[in-house]
Amino acid sequence: MKKIIIPLYGAFLLLFSIFSYAFVDPNLSYLKDFYSDFAFSNRLLTTIFYAFSIVIFFVFYSVFIYLGVKKKLSFKDVFVLLGITIGILFFSYPAMLSYDIFNYIATSKVYFFYQENPYVVMPFEFIGDPLLSFTHAANKIALYGPLWIFLTGIPYFLGFGNFIITLFSFKFFIAIFYLGTISLIWKMSKNIIPVILFSLNPLVVIETLISGHNDIVMIFFVLLSFFLLTKKKVFFAVLFFILSILIKYSTILLLPVFLYAIWKIAEKKEINWKTIFYFSSLLMYIAFLLSPIREEIYPWYAIWFIPFAFLVPDKKILLYTSITFSFSLLLRYTPYMLTGTYAGQTPFIKEIVSFIPPVLVFIYYYGLKKKI
Amino acid sequence: MKNEKFIRLFLLFFFFLILFKTPVFAQSNYVLSYPSSMPGSLSYKIHFIYENVSRYWYFGDFGQFEYNLKLADKYLVEAKTLFEYKQYLLGYKALKKSDQYFINILPNLIRAGKNGKNTFQKKAVLNEASQKHIEILREIENRVPSSFIWEPEKSTPTSLDLKKAFSESIHFREKDI
Repeated sequence: MKKIIIPLYGAFLLLFSIFSYAFVDPNLSYLKDFYSDFAFSNRLLTTIFYAFSIVIFFVFYSVFIYLGVKKKLSFKDVFVLLGITIGILFFSYPAMLSYDIFNYIATSKVYFFYQENPYVVMPFEFIGDPLLSFTHAANKIALYGPLWIFLTGIPYFLGFGNFIITLFSFKFFIAIFYLGTISLIWKMSKNIIPVILFSLNPLVVIETLISGHNDIVMIFFVLLSFFLLTKKKVFFAVLFFILSILIKYSTILLLPVFLYAIWKIAEKKEINWKTIFYFSSLLMYIAFLLSPIREEIYPWYAIWFIPFAFLVPDKKILLYTSITFSFSLLLRYTPYMLTGTYAGQTPFIKEIVSFIPPVLVFIYYYGLKKKI
Repeated sequence: MKNEKFIRLFLLFFFFLILFKTPVFAQSNYVLSYPSSMPGSLSYKIHFIYENVSRYWYFGDFGQFEYNLKLADKYLVEAKTLFEYKQYLLGYKALKKSDQYFINILPNLIRAGKNGKNTFQKKAVLNEASQKHIEILREIENRVPSSFIWEPEKSTPTSLDLKKAFSESIHFREKDI
Protein backbone atom coordinates (compact mmCIF):
# COMPACT_ATOMS: atom_id res chain seq x y z
CA MET A 1 0.00 0.00 0.00
CA LYS A 2 2.75 2.43 0.95
CA LYS A 3 4.43 1.87 -2.44
CA ILE A 4 1.37 3.48 -4.01
CA ILE A 5 0.56 6.02 -1.33
CA ILE A 6 3.97 7.72 -1.22
CA PRO A 7 4.14 8.56 -4.97
CA LEU A 8 0.46 9.57 -4.86
CA TYR A 9 1.19 11.90 -1.95
CA GLY A 10 4.11 13.39 -3.88
CA ALA A 11 1.90 13.96 -6.93
CA PHE A 12 -0.76 15.56 -4.77
CA LEU A 13 1.77 17.91 -3.15
CA LEU A 14 3.05 18.87 -6.59
CA LEU A 15 -0.50 19.73 -7.70
CA PHE A 16 -1.10 21.70 -4.54
CA SER A 17 2.16 23.62 -5.05
CA ILE A 18 1.12 24.49 -8.60
CA PHE A 19 -2.31 25.53 -7.26
CA SER A 20 -0.63 27.88 -4.76
CA TYR A 21 0.56 30.02 -7.69
CA ALA A 22 -3.09 30.79 -8.52
CA PHE A 23 -2.88 33.19 -5.56
CA VAL A 24 0.04 35.28 -6.82
CA ASP A 25 -0.62 38.89 -5.84
CA PRO A 26 -1.27 41.23 -8.79
CA ASN A 27 1.13 43.79 -7.26
CA LEU A 28 3.95 41.30 -6.85
CA SER A 29 5.93 42.46 -9.87
CA TYR A 30 8.75 40.01 -9.14
CA LEU A 31 6.42 37.11 -10.00
CA LYS A 32 4.41 38.79 -12.75
CA ASP A 33 5.08 35.87 -15.10
CA PHE A 34 3.23 33.60 -12.68
CA TYR A 35 0.29 35.94 -12.15
CA SER A 36 -2.94 34.58 -13.57
CA ASP A 37 -5.66 36.27 -11.45
CA PHE A 38 -7.22 32.79 -11.24
CA ALA A 39 -7.87 32.71 -7.46
CA PHE A 40 -9.36 36.21 -7.49
CA SER A 41 -11.60 35.87 -10.54
CA ASN A 42 -12.72 32.25 -10.00
CA ARG A 43 -13.50 32.39 -6.30
CA LEU A 44 -16.03 29.54 -6.13
CA LEU A 45 -13.88 27.13 -8.11
CA THR A 46 -10.77 28.09 -6.11
CA THR A 47 -12.58 27.59 -2.79
CA ILE A 48 -13.94 24.20 -3.86
CA PHE A 49 -10.52 23.11 -5.08
CA TYR A 50 -8.86 24.34 -1.87
CA ALA A 51 -11.42 22.68 0.45
CA PHE A 52 -11.21 19.46 -1.56
CA SER A 53 -7.39 19.57 -1.34
CA ILE A 54 -7.58 19.95 2.44
CA VAL A 55 -9.82 16.88 2.61
CA ILE A 56 -7.34 14.94 0.44
CA PHE A 57 -4.49 16.19 2.66
CA PHE A 58 -6.28 14.74 5.69
CA VAL A 59 -7.03 11.46 3.90
CA PHE A 60 -3.28 11.04 3.32
CA TYR A 61 -2.59 12.09 6.90
CA SER A 62 -5.04 9.48 8.24
CA VAL A 63 -3.47 6.80 6.07
CA PHE A 64 0.01 7.70 7.33
CA ILE A 65 -1.18 7.59 10.96
CA TYR A 66 -2.90 4.26 10.30
CA LEU A 67 0.24 2.82 8.69
CA GLY A 68 2.30 4.15 11.59
CA VAL A 69 0.03 2.60 14.21
CA LYS A 70 0.07 -0.70 12.31
CA LYS A 71 3.88 -0.46 12.23
CA LYS A 72 3.82 -0.52 8.43
CA LEU A 73 5.59 2.81 8.13
CA SER A 74 9.27 2.66 9.04
CA PHE A 75 11.44 5.55 10.13
CA LYS A 76 13.01 5.42 6.66
CA ASP A 77 9.55 5.80 5.06
CA VAL A 78 8.81 8.83 7.24
CA PHE A 79 12.18 10.23 6.23
CA VAL A 80 11.29 9.78 2.54
CA LEU A 81 7.87 11.39 3.11
CA LEU A 82 9.52 14.34 4.83
CA GLY A 83 12.00 14.69 1.97
CA ILE A 84 9.17 14.71 -0.57
CA THR A 85 7.09 17.16 1.50
CA ILE A 86 9.91 19.65 2.03
CA GLY A 87 11.35 19.21 -1.46
CA ILE A 88 8.06 19.91 -3.21
CA LEU A 89 6.45 22.47 -0.91
CA PHE A 90 9.64 24.53 -0.78
CA PHE A 91 8.81 25.69 -4.31
CA SER A 92 5.19 26.59 -3.52
CA TYR A 93 4.02 30.20 -3.48
CA PRO A 94 4.30 31.36 0.16
CA ALA A 95 1.60 34.03 0.17
CA MET A 96 -1.13 31.65 -0.90
CA LEU A 97 -2.97 31.96 2.42
CA SER A 98 -1.12 34.65 4.36
CA TYR A 99 1.14 37.58 3.57
CA ASP A 100 3.22 37.25 6.73
CA ILE A 101 6.37 36.22 4.90
CA PHE A 102 6.36 39.61 3.16
CA ASN A 103 6.06 41.29 6.55
CA TYR A 104 9.05 39.32 7.82
CA ILE A 105 11.10 40.48 4.83
CA ALA A 106 9.90 44.09 5.16
CA THR A 107 10.72 44.20 8.90
CA SER A 108 14.09 42.63 8.25
CA LYS A 109 14.77 45.24 5.57
CA VAL A 110 13.85 48.08 7.98
CA TYR A 111 16.50 46.82 10.39
CA PHE A 112 19.25 45.42 8.19
CA PHE A 113 18.98 47.59 5.09
CA TYR A 114 17.63 50.92 6.32
CA GLN A 115 19.25 50.50 9.76
CA GLU A 116 16.19 51.75 11.58
CA ASN A 117 14.49 50.29 14.62
CA PRO A 118 11.51 48.23 13.34
CA TYR A 119 9.77 48.78 16.69
CA VAL A 120 9.79 52.54 15.98
CA VAL A 121 9.74 52.91 12.21
CA MET A 122 7.15 51.18 10.03
CA PRO A 123 8.00 49.77 6.58
CA PHE A 124 5.54 52.14 4.88
CA GLU A 125 7.64 55.12 5.98
CA PHE A 126 10.14 54.20 3.25
CA ILE A 127 8.30 55.74 0.35
CA GLY A 128 9.09 54.13 -2.96
CA ASP A 129 10.29 50.82 -1.54
CA PRO A 130 9.14 48.09 -3.96
CA LEU A 131 8.02 45.85 -1.07
CA LEU A 132 5.25 48.29 -0.17
CA SER A 133 3.11 47.42 -3.17
CA PHE A 134 2.41 43.90 -1.88
CA THR A 135 3.25 43.93 1.86
CA HIS A 136 -0.10 43.98 3.65
CA ALA A 137 0.93 45.06 7.16
CA ALA A 138 3.45 47.71 6.17
CA ASN A 139 1.65 50.18 8.42
CA LYS A 140 2.61 48.32 11.58
CA ILE A 141 5.75 48.35 13.67
CA ALA A 142 7.41 44.98 14.29
CA LEU A 143 5.01 42.51 15.89
CA TYR A 144 7.49 39.81 16.80
CA GLY A 145 10.24 39.40 19.34
CA PRO A 146 13.72 40.89 18.88
CA LEU A 147 15.36 37.49 18.45
CA TRP A 148 13.16 36.80 15.43
CA ILE A 149 14.18 40.11 13.84
CA PHE A 150 17.81 39.35 14.57
CA LEU A 151 17.53 35.82 13.12
CA THR A 152 15.85 37.06 9.94
CA GLY A 153 19.19 38.66 9.12
CA ILE A 154 20.37 35.19 8.03
CA PRO A 155 17.80 34.64 5.24
CA TYR A 156 17.79 38.35 4.45
CA PHE A 157 21.52 38.47 3.72
CA LEU A 158 21.39 35.08 1.97
CA GLY A 159 19.04 36.75 -0.50
CA PHE A 160 21.88 39.06 -1.68
CA GLY A 161 19.37 41.83 -2.33
CA ASN A 162 17.33 39.74 -4.75
CA PHE A 163 13.70 39.53 -3.65
CA ILE A 164 12.96 36.06 -5.04
CA ILE A 165 16.11 34.56 -3.51
CA THR A 166 15.29 36.32 -0.21
CA LEU A 167 11.73 34.93 -0.30
CA PHE A 168 12.94 31.38 -0.76
CA SER A 169 15.77 31.88 1.74
CA PHE A 170 13.09 32.65 4.33
CA LYS A 171 11.24 29.46 3.36
CA PHE A 172 14.45 27.44 3.58
CA PHE A 173 15.24 28.98 6.96
CA ILE A 174 11.81 28.00 8.31
CA ALA A 175 12.17 24.48 6.86
CA ILE A 176 15.36 24.00 8.92
CA PHE A 177 13.44 24.75 12.13
CA TYR A 178 10.67 22.39 11.00
CA LEU A 179 13.23 19.60 10.68
CA GLY A 180 14.79 20.59 14.00
CA THR A 181 11.40 20.42 15.73
CA ILE A 182 10.71 16.96 14.25
CA SER A 183 14.10 15.77 15.43
CA LEU A 184 13.35 17.02 18.97
CA ILE A 185 9.93 15.31 18.96
CA TRP A 186 11.66 12.09 17.98
CA LYS A 187 14.35 12.50 20.64
CA MET A 188 11.80 13.22 23.36
CA SER A 189 9.26 10.57 22.44
CA LYS A 190 11.42 7.83 20.87
CA ASN A 191 8.18 6.90 19.15
CA ILE A 192 7.36 7.23 15.47
CA ILE A 193 3.68 8.08 16.09
CA PRO A 194 4.25 11.61 17.50
CA VAL A 195 6.71 12.19 14.64
CA ILE A 196 4.11 11.20 12.02
CA LEU A 197 1.37 13.11 13.82
CA PHE A 198 3.40 16.31 13.85
CA SER A 199 5.54 16.24 10.74
CA LEU A 200 2.81 15.18 8.32
CA ASN A 201 0.01 17.19 9.90
CA PRO A 202 -1.51 19.23 7.03
CA LEU A 203 -1.79 22.41 9.11
CA VAL A 204 1.82 22.20 10.25
CA VAL A 205 2.97 21.40 6.72
CA ILE A 206 0.95 24.18 5.05
CA GLU A 207 1.60 26.90 7.62
CA THR A 208 5.28 26.07 7.95
CA LEU A 209 6.49 24.84 4.57
CA ILE A 210 4.17 26.88 2.36
CA SER A 211 3.40 30.06 4.32
CA GLY A 212 6.70 30.07 6.23
CA HIS A 213 5.29 31.19 9.60
CA ASN A 214 7.79 31.78 12.36
CA ASP A 215 5.75 29.93 15.02
CA ILE A 216 7.82 26.84 14.30
CA VAL A 217 10.98 28.75 15.34
CA MET A 218 9.42 29.65 18.70
CA ILE A 219 8.29 26.04 19.19
CA PHE A 220 11.71 24.68 18.22
CA PHE A 221 13.40 26.76 20.92
CA VAL A 222 10.88 25.83 23.60
CA LEU A 223 11.07 22.12 22.74
CA LEU A 224 14.85 22.37 22.78
CA SER A 225 14.56 23.94 26.20
CA PHE A 226 12.38 21.04 27.45
CA PHE A 227 14.74 18.55 25.82
CA LEU A 228 17.68 20.12 27.67
CA LEU A 229 15.69 19.83 30.88
CA THR A 230 15.28 16.10 30.27
CA LYS A 231 19.10 16.02 30.17
CA LYS A 232 19.21 18.13 33.39
CA LYS A 233 21.03 20.97 31.58
CA VAL A 234 19.15 23.69 33.42
CA PHE A 235 21.27 26.70 32.35
CA PHE A 236 20.90 26.05 28.63
CA ALA A 237 17.26 25.09 29.13
CA VAL A 238 16.56 28.49 30.71
CA LEU A 239 18.53 30.19 27.93
CA PHE A 240 16.56 28.52 25.14
CA PHE A 241 13.28 29.08 26.96
CA ILE A 242 14.03 32.82 27.02
CA LEU A 243 15.07 32.68 23.35
CA SER A 244 11.73 31.09 22.52
CA ILE A 245 9.85 33.91 24.26
CA LEU A 246 11.99 36.40 22.35
CA ILE A 247 10.71 34.98 19.07
CA LYS A 248 6.97 35.46 19.52
CA TYR A 249 6.18 35.88 23.25
CA SER A 250 3.41 33.23 23.47
CA THR A 251 5.60 30.59 25.13
CA ILE A 252 5.78 32.81 28.22
CA LEU A 253 2.57 31.04 29.24
CA LEU A 254 4.61 27.86 29.66
CA LEU A 255 6.56 29.47 32.50
CA PRO A 256 4.64 27.69 35.34
CA VAL A 257 5.24 24.27 33.77
CA PHE A 258 8.86 25.14 33.03
CA LEU A 259 9.51 26.33 36.60
CA TYR A 260 7.78 23.23 37.97
CA ALA A 261 10.14 21.00 35.93
CA ILE A 262 13.17 22.98 37.18
CA TRP A 263 11.93 22.66 40.75
CA LYS A 264 11.58 18.90 40.30
CA ILE A 265 15.14 18.74 38.98
CA ALA A 266 16.42 20.83 41.89
CA GLU A 267 14.62 18.51 44.32
CA LYS A 268 16.11 15.54 42.45
CA LYS A 269 12.63 14.14 41.94
CA GLU A 270 11.40 12.09 39.03
CA ILE A 271 9.64 14.14 36.32
CA ASN A 272 6.62 12.76 34.52
CA TRP A 273 7.30 14.30 31.12
CA LYS A 274 3.93 13.23 29.75
CA THR A 275 2.26 15.36 32.42
CA ILE A 276 4.58 18.25 31.56
CA PHE A 277 3.69 18.02 27.86
CA TYR A 278 0.01 17.58 28.66
CA PHE A 279 -0.11 20.77 30.72
CA SER A 280 2.11 22.58 28.21
CA SER A 281 -0.42 21.73 25.54
CA LEU A 282 -3.28 23.01 27.70
CA LEU A 283 -1.42 26.27 28.40
CA MET A 284 -0.69 26.74 24.72
CA TYR A 285 -4.39 26.10 24.06
CA ILE A 286 -5.12 28.96 26.46
CA ALA A 287 -2.64 31.20 24.59
CA PHE A 288 -4.32 30.18 21.34
CA LEU A 289 -7.83 30.90 22.64
CA LEU A 290 -6.72 34.23 24.13
CA SER A 291 -5.23 35.44 20.85
CA PRO A 292 -8.42 37.33 19.79
CA ILE A 293 -7.57 39.81 22.58
CA ARG A 294 -4.65 40.95 20.44
CA GLU A 295 -6.07 40.40 16.97
CA GLU A 296 -7.81 37.19 15.94
CA ILE A 297 -7.21 33.46 15.93
CA TYR A 298 -5.04 32.66 12.97
CA PRO A 299 -4.75 29.06 11.75
CA TRP A 300 -0.99 28.91 12.28
CA TYR A 301 -1.41 29.59 16.01
CA ALA A 302 -2.39 25.92 16.29
CA ILE A 303 1.34 25.17 15.93
CA TRP A 304 1.64 26.40 19.54
CA PHE A 305 -0.24 23.47 21.05
CA ILE A 306 0.00 20.77 18.37
CA PRO A 307 3.56 19.53 19.16
CA PHE A 308 2.79 19.18 22.89
CA ALA A 309 -0.55 17.50 22.22
CA PHE A 310 1.11 15.00 19.87
CA LEU A 311 3.84 14.23 22.39
CA VAL A 312 1.12 12.66 24.53
CA PRO A 313 -0.93 10.77 21.92
CA ASP A 314 -2.55 8.62 24.61
CA LYS A 315 -4.48 11.70 25.79
CA LYS A 316 -7.19 11.01 23.24
CA ILE A 317 -9.28 14.12 23.86
CA LEU A 318 -6.24 16.32 23.25
CA LEU A 319 -5.20 14.31 20.22
CA TYR A 320 -8.58 14.32 18.50
CA THR A 321 -9.34 17.95 19.35
CA SER A 322 -5.93 19.01 17.98
CA ILE A 323 -6.37 17.03 14.76
CA THR A 324 -9.89 18.45 14.33
CA PHE A 325 -8.58 21.96 14.93
CA SER A 326 -5.90 21.34 12.28
CA PHE A 327 -8.67 20.55 9.83
CA SER A 328 -11.16 23.24 10.80
CA LEU A 329 -8.56 26.02 11.02
CA LEU A 330 -7.41 25.26 7.49
CA LEU A 331 -11.02 25.66 6.38
CA ARG A 332 -11.06 29.06 8.14
CA TYR A 333 -9.54 30.47 4.96
CA THR A 334 -12.50 29.46 2.81
CA PRO A 335 -15.03 32.22 3.70
CA TYR A 336 -12.62 34.95 2.59
CA MET A 337 -11.43 32.89 -0.35
CA LEU A 338 -15.04 32.65 -1.52
CA THR A 339 -16.29 36.17 -0.79
CA GLY A 340 -13.11 38.22 -1.16
CA THR A 341 -14.09 40.35 1.83
CA TYR A 342 -13.34 40.33 5.53
CA ALA A 343 -16.56 42.19 6.24
CA GLY A 344 -20.20 41.06 6.31
CA GLN A 345 -20.80 37.45 7.28
CA THR A 346 -17.18 36.38 6.72
CA PRO A 347 -15.95 36.77 10.35
CA PHE A 348 -18.98 34.90 11.70
CA ILE A 349 -18.65 32.03 9.22
CA LYS A 350 -14.92 31.84 9.98
CA GLU A 351 -15.66 31.31 13.68
CA ILE A 352 -18.33 28.70 12.92
CA VAL A 353 -16.04 26.79 10.57
CA SER A 354 -13.11 26.96 13.02
CA PHE A 355 -14.84 26.05 16.25
CA ILE A 356 -17.88 23.87 15.60
CA PRO A 357 -15.95 20.72 14.56
CA PRO A 358 -13.46 20.77 17.50
CA VAL A 359 -16.23 21.62 19.98
CA LEU A 360 -18.29 18.66 18.71
CA VAL A 361 -15.28 16.36 19.05
CA PHE A 362 -14.59 17.71 22.53
CA ILE A 363 -18.21 17.19 23.62
CA TYR A 364 -18.21 13.68 22.15
CA TYR A 365 -15.07 12.59 23.98
CA TYR A 366 -15.41 14.58 27.17
CA GLY A 367 -19.16 14.81 27.64
CA LEU A 368 -20.29 11.44 26.36
CA LYS A 369 -17.39 9.02 26.51
CA LYS A 370 -15.35 10.70 29.27
CA LYS A 371 -12.21 9.16 27.76
CA ILE A 372 -9.47 11.51 28.83
CA MET B 1 -48.34 79.34 21.69
CA LYS B 2 -45.94 78.42 24.46
CA ASN B 3 -44.03 76.25 22.04
CA GLU B 4 -43.75 79.10 19.55
CA LYS B 5 -42.25 81.35 22.23
CA PHE B 6 -39.80 78.70 23.20
CA ILE B 7 -38.69 78.16 19.60
CA ARG B 8 -38.24 81.93 19.14
CA LEU B 9 -36.10 82.17 22.27
CA PHE B 10 -34.15 79.12 21.21
CA LEU B 11 -33.42 80.58 17.75
CA LEU B 12 -32.51 83.93 19.28
CA PHE B 13 -30.09 82.24 21.63
CA PHE B 14 -28.41 80.48 18.72
CA PHE B 15 -28.31 83.68 16.72
CA PHE B 16 -26.39 85.45 19.50
CA LEU B 17 -24.23 82.41 20.07
CA ILE B 18 -23.14 82.44 16.43
CA LEU B 19 -22.83 86.24 16.36
CA PHE B 20 -20.59 86.61 19.38
CA LYS B 21 -18.63 83.41 19.00
CA THR B 22 -14.94 84.16 18.48
CA PRO B 23 -13.84 82.34 15.36
CA VAL B 24 -10.87 80.04 15.94
CA PHE B 25 -8.95 79.00 12.87
CA ALA B 26 -6.57 76.12 13.15
CA GLN B 27 -3.33 77.12 11.51
CA SER B 28 -1.90 73.62 11.53
CA ASN B 29 -3.31 70.11 11.60
CA TYR B 30 -0.39 69.00 13.70
CA VAL B 31 -1.52 67.78 17.13
CA LEU B 32 0.66 68.24 20.20
CA SER B 33 0.62 65.84 23.11
CA TYR B 34 -0.89 66.53 26.52
CA PRO B 35 1.56 67.77 29.13
CA SER B 36 3.13 64.93 31.08
CA SER B 37 4.67 65.12 34.55
CA MET B 38 6.11 68.47 35.66
CA PRO B 39 9.52 69.34 37.16
CA GLY B 40 9.81 68.57 40.84
CA SER B 41 7.91 65.30 40.81
CA LEU B 42 9.54 61.88 41.05
CA SER B 43 7.92 60.71 37.83
CA TYR B 44 9.55 63.67 36.04
CA LYS B 45 12.98 62.39 37.07
CA ILE B 46 12.05 58.88 35.91
CA HIS B 47 10.81 60.32 32.61
CA PHE B 48 14.08 62.19 32.25
CA ILE B 49 16.12 59.01 32.68
CA TYR B 50 13.79 57.19 30.28
CA GLU B 51 14.26 59.93 27.68
CA ASN B 52 18.01 59.67 27.85
CA VAL B 53 17.98 55.89 27.63
CA SER B 54 15.40 55.80 24.83
CA ARG B 55 17.76 57.93 22.70
CA TYR B 56 19.50 54.61 21.88
CA TRP B 57 16.22 52.83 21.19
CA TYR B 58 15.37 55.39 18.52
CA PHE B 59 18.42 54.63 16.41
CA GLY B 60 18.57 55.38 12.68
CA ASP B 61 17.85 58.62 10.83
CA PHE B 62 14.07 58.28 10.94
CA GLY B 63 14.25 56.99 14.50
CA GLN B 64 16.21 60.05 15.60
CA PHE B 65 13.77 62.24 13.67
CA GLU B 66 10.89 60.71 15.68
CA TYR B 67 12.81 60.96 18.95
CA ASN B 68 13.82 64.61 18.60
CA LEU B 69 10.43 65.72 17.30
CA LYS B 70 8.63 63.87 20.10
CA LEU B 71 10.77 65.53 22.75
CA ALA B 72 10.67 68.97 21.09
CA ASP B 73 6.86 68.67 21.28
CA LYS B 74 6.92 67.41 24.83
CA TYR B 75 9.10 70.22 26.16
CA LEU B 76 7.15 72.87 24.24
CA VAL B 77 3.91 71.70 25.87
CA GLU B 78 5.73 71.60 29.21
CA ALA B 79 7.02 75.16 28.70
CA LYS B 80 3.54 76.37 27.77
CA THR B 81 2.02 74.86 30.91
CA LEU B 82 4.76 76.25 33.14
CA PHE B 83 4.50 79.74 31.66
CA GLU B 84 0.74 79.61 32.17
CA TYR B 85 1.39 78.93 35.85
CA LYS B 86 3.97 81.75 35.91
CA GLN B 87 6.81 79.31 36.60
CA TYR B 88 9.08 81.38 34.34
CA LEU B 89 12.44 79.84 35.19
CA LEU B 90 11.21 76.25 34.69
CA GLY B 91 9.27 77.31 31.60
CA TYR B 92 12.37 78.99 30.19
CA LYS B 93 14.43 75.82 30.77
CA ALA B 94 11.78 73.65 29.13
CA LEU B 95 11.69 76.03 26.14
CA LYS B 96 15.47 75.79 25.75
CA LYS B 97 15.24 71.98 25.86
CA SER B 98 12.49 72.03 23.22
CA ASP B 99 14.71 74.25 21.05
CA GLN B 100 17.65 71.87 21.41
CA TYR B 101 15.61 68.85 20.38
CA PHE B 102 14.04 70.83 17.53
CA ILE B 103 17.47 71.86 16.19
CA ASN B 104 18.46 68.17 16.11
CA ILE B 105 15.58 67.19 13.81
CA LEU B 106 16.69 68.61 10.47
CA PRO B 107 20.25 67.16 10.42
CA ASN B 108 18.68 63.70 10.80
CA LEU B 109 16.44 64.30 7.81
CA ILE B 110 19.39 65.52 5.75
CA ARG B 111 21.32 62.39 6.75
CA ALA B 112 18.30 60.22 5.82
CA GLY B 113 18.21 61.86 2.40
CA LYS B 114 21.92 61.20 1.93
CA ASN B 115 21.29 57.57 2.89
CA GLY B 116 18.82 57.25 0.03
CA LYS B 117 15.62 57.48 2.09
CA ASN B 118 12.70 59.45 0.71
CA THR B 119 12.16 62.25 3.22
CA PHE B 120 9.23 63.94 1.50
CA GLN B 121 6.66 62.85 4.10
CA LYS B 122 8.93 63.58 7.06
CA LYS B 123 9.62 67.08 5.73
CA ALA B 124 5.88 67.69 5.51
CA VAL B 125 5.50 66.52 9.13
CA LEU B 126 8.34 68.80 10.22
CA ASN B 127 6.74 71.69 8.38
CA GLU B 128 3.41 71.10 10.13
CA ALA B 129 5.19 70.76 13.48
CA SER B 130 7.11 74.01 12.92
CA GLN B 131 3.88 75.87 12.16
CA LYS B 132 2.18 74.48 15.23
CA HIS B 133 5.19 75.28 17.43
CA ILE B 134 5.28 78.87 16.15
CA GLU B 135 1.53 79.18 16.75
CA ILE B 136 1.99 78.08 20.37
CA LEU B 137 5.10 80.21 20.91
CA ARG B 138 3.36 83.36 19.66
CA GLU B 139 0.41 82.57 21.91
CA ILE B 140 2.62 82.28 25.03
CA GLU B 141 4.84 85.21 24.04
CA ASN B 142 1.82 87.53 24.24
CA ARG B 143 1.03 86.38 27.78
CA VAL B 144 4.44 86.59 29.43
CA PRO B 145 6.55 89.66 30.28
CA SER B 146 9.49 90.43 27.99
CA SER B 147 11.92 89.94 30.85
CA PHE B 148 11.70 88.59 34.33
CA ILE B 149 13.96 88.33 37.37
CA TRP B 150 13.49 85.04 39.11
CA GLU B 151 14.30 85.43 42.78
CA PRO B 152 14.38 82.13 44.61
CA GLU B 153 14.80 81.99 48.37
CA LYS B 154 18.39 81.63 49.65
CA SER B 155 19.79 81.74 46.13
CA THR B 156 21.02 84.29 43.61
CA PRO B 157 18.35 85.75 41.31
CA THR B 158 18.24 84.84 37.62
CA SER B 159 17.41 87.36 34.95
CA LEU B 160 15.33 85.87 32.14
CA ASP B 161 15.18 87.60 28.77
CA LEU B 162 11.93 85.96 27.71
CA LYS B 163 11.44 88.13 24.63
CA LYS B 164 14.81 87.07 23.27
CA ALA B 165 14.13 83.44 24.17
CA PHE B 166 10.84 83.43 22.29
CA SER B 167 12.21 85.19 19.23
CA GLU B 168 15.09 82.67 19.11
CA SER B 169 12.69 79.73 19.45
CA ILE B 170 10.48 81.09 16.67
CA HIS B 171 13.54 81.73 14.50
CA PHE B 172 14.73 78.09 14.83
CA ARG B 173 11.34 76.88 13.75
CA GLU B 174 10.87 79.35 10.93
CA LYS B 175 14.06 78.05 9.35
CA ASP B 176 12.40 74.66 8.85
CA ILE B 177 9.28 75.94 7.09
